[in-house]
Amino acid sequence: MDAKKLTQLAMLTGVALIIFVVELQIPNPFPIPGVKLGLANIITVYAVYHYRAKEAAMIVFARVVLAAFFSGNMMALMYSMAGGIFCLAGMIPLKRIIDEKMIWVSSVFGAVLHNIGQISVAVLLTKTWGVIAYFPFLLLSGCLAGAFTGISAQLIIKRLKNKGGRLL
Amino acid sequence: MKKKNICLAGFCAALFLFGAAGSLAVWFRPHGSWVNVMQDGMVLYSFDLSSTPDQTIDIEYNGSINTIQIKDGRIRVLSAECPDKTCVHMGWLESGALPVVCLPNRLVIGFAERESVDAVVK
Amino acid sequence: MRTQRLCCLVLGVLFLFTACAGQDAQTDIAEENKTSFFAMDTYVTLTAYGKDSREALSLAQGKMEALERLWSVTDENSEIYRVNHSGGTAVEVSDETAALLHFALGMADKTGGALEPTIYPVLTAWGFTTGEQRIPTEKEIEGLLAAVGYDRVKTEGNMVLLEQGMMLDLGAVGKGYAGDLAAEVLRNHNITSALLDIGGNIQAIGAKPDGTPWRLGLRDPFSGGTIGILQVTDAAVVTSGNYEKFFVGQDGETYGHLIDPASGRPAKSGLASVTVIAKEGRICDALSTALFIMGADKAVEYWNDNMDFEMILITDEGEIFVTEGIADSFIVDDAHSDMSVHMVGR
Repeated sequence: MDAKKLTQLAMLTGVALIIFVVELQIPNPFPIPGVKLGLANIITVYAVYHYRAKEAAMIVFARVVLAAFFSGNMMALMYSMAGGIFCLAGMIPLKRIIDEKMIWVSSVFGAVLHNIGQISVAVLLTKTWGVIAYFPFLLLSGCLAGAFTGISAQLIIKRLKNKGGRLL
Repeated sequence: MKKKNICLAGFCAALFLFGAAGSLAVWFRPHGSWVNVMQDGMVLYSFDLSSTPDQTIDIEYNGSINTIQIKDGRIRVLSAECPDKTCVHMGWLESGALPVVCLPNRLVIGFAERESVDAVVK
Repeated sequence: MRTQRLCCLVLGVLFLFTACAGQDAQTDIAEENKTSFFAMDTYVTLTAYGKDSREALSLAQGKMEALERLWSVTDENSEIYRVNHSGGTAVEVSDETAALLHFALGMADKTGGALEPTIYPVLTAWGFTTGEQRIPTEKEIEGLLAAVGYDRVKTEGNMVLLEQGMMLDLGAVGKGYAGDLAAEVLRNHNITSALLDIGGNIQAIGAKPDGTPWRLGLRDPFSGGTIGILQVTDAAVVTSGNYEKFFVGQDGETYGHLIDPASGRPAKSGLASVTVIAKEGRICDALSTALFIMGADKAVEYWNDNMDFEMILITDEGEIFVTEGIADSFIVDDAHSDMSVHMVGR
């Protein structure tokens, strides 16, 4: 990997972390574990479509680990990591089927898969099937949050195209 | 190409509707008066809220404590020594299917399907 | 115009019919009445069903409050207080107190002194009566045990003679006895369905109004929840365990409020709780305390020799022993299905 690529990936990770920290400051009106906007995934969606699978995965994992440090919530690391793995595992093959113009759909799938990953870990950790009752709420919020981040990513890509270039 | 996009959007809408319907079903599911307090999949406490006197209970997990409160036949997490405090923000346990959970401390408080009792011998 | 009036009439008659039907349906359901009050050092809830239940309940409440005034250890006007502070002279007590005392002394004798109505000074030394718990020295306990011994209480008819320095405390049987007398008041008022909850001592009259047995939760001695469900009809159920009142001493040991009269120290019999089911509350009350102090082996022996009760023993290790007469009526909660349940036969 050349220095230019490495710098690009590092920059994207940095941007994702900034978005994450800013989002942390917004109070979450939904007292349901796992329900959040997840704006940092704008970068995930962008990276999946503009970088190789391995590179996108590096960005996501680096962000998840560093975000856990930044927020001081190490327990959340396991949930986010499982979410990230599920999300990538779904989105990377999906990008062959779903055109970049429909990136918001891809983002919805990613978000829902992310939530499935989280809830699987929650069920495993608490050893309680009852936790699955959260799934419909996460599905709902995943659709909304995924669509929102997807449309945001789409807007960014469009503006960049107008400027005639990539993000970095 | 266009047809495929409509299909995809439709699938997203279906997911959304499915989530909405499921959420409503979960939220409004009826419940009895029995509550289980579980940690790590084990039932720590089993209460009949209709006959349990008001009290607070401390439950420890790896050194961090969740304080559970039972008051006027309701139960909630009063305070928690975890970073996100989602369980505290969830407030009183209301739904028949949706448990109050504290993921960092592996704590799940949910309604159990059991008949109520007339009194508790103690 | 005429048809309109006809319609009104028909509707009116229909309305009356439905009103009557509604009334009928209501009298079908037995009227429930409930009363809660503080007596016998605990919270009492009486629930009774039937037409005259309200009046019957207020009489039962009056009875219990009157008995408390007779039997309180701390009330200076109680008969027990007078006996305890007689300075070694004989005191005349009421029929009710005499009957309670005879019963308590009889049970003390029957249980070989495991139930000890004169243990009060030792209990006080441990601080269980004052709330200032502490560990008394061996010497202090030894001194206090010199003033303990149910066989030294002299009674003749309604006269009671207590040696100076001795103290009577009928708390271990008083709640059960009061419950029996309150239940008697209700029965005399033709109440056939009632539940008396005297601080967790349960006394059931008949079955529920719908004819099904009462469902009683059994407290889990290891947590604040329940361990199982016991179904009873026309029976009393009392549980004794050290979880009710205990303290952790500076030595880190747990000290419970059930004192073994033989040692003057909190009983360590390997039992976490004892539940006794019998026809009368007084038997339950006396035996749950005595069997707890005896331990599992002696309790089973006692059960074999006496046919008038059933019991559920829970050991410190979490094993449950249920006697055969009640085994079918006791269902362990799903949450505790890991606990091993043993049936005890004769």
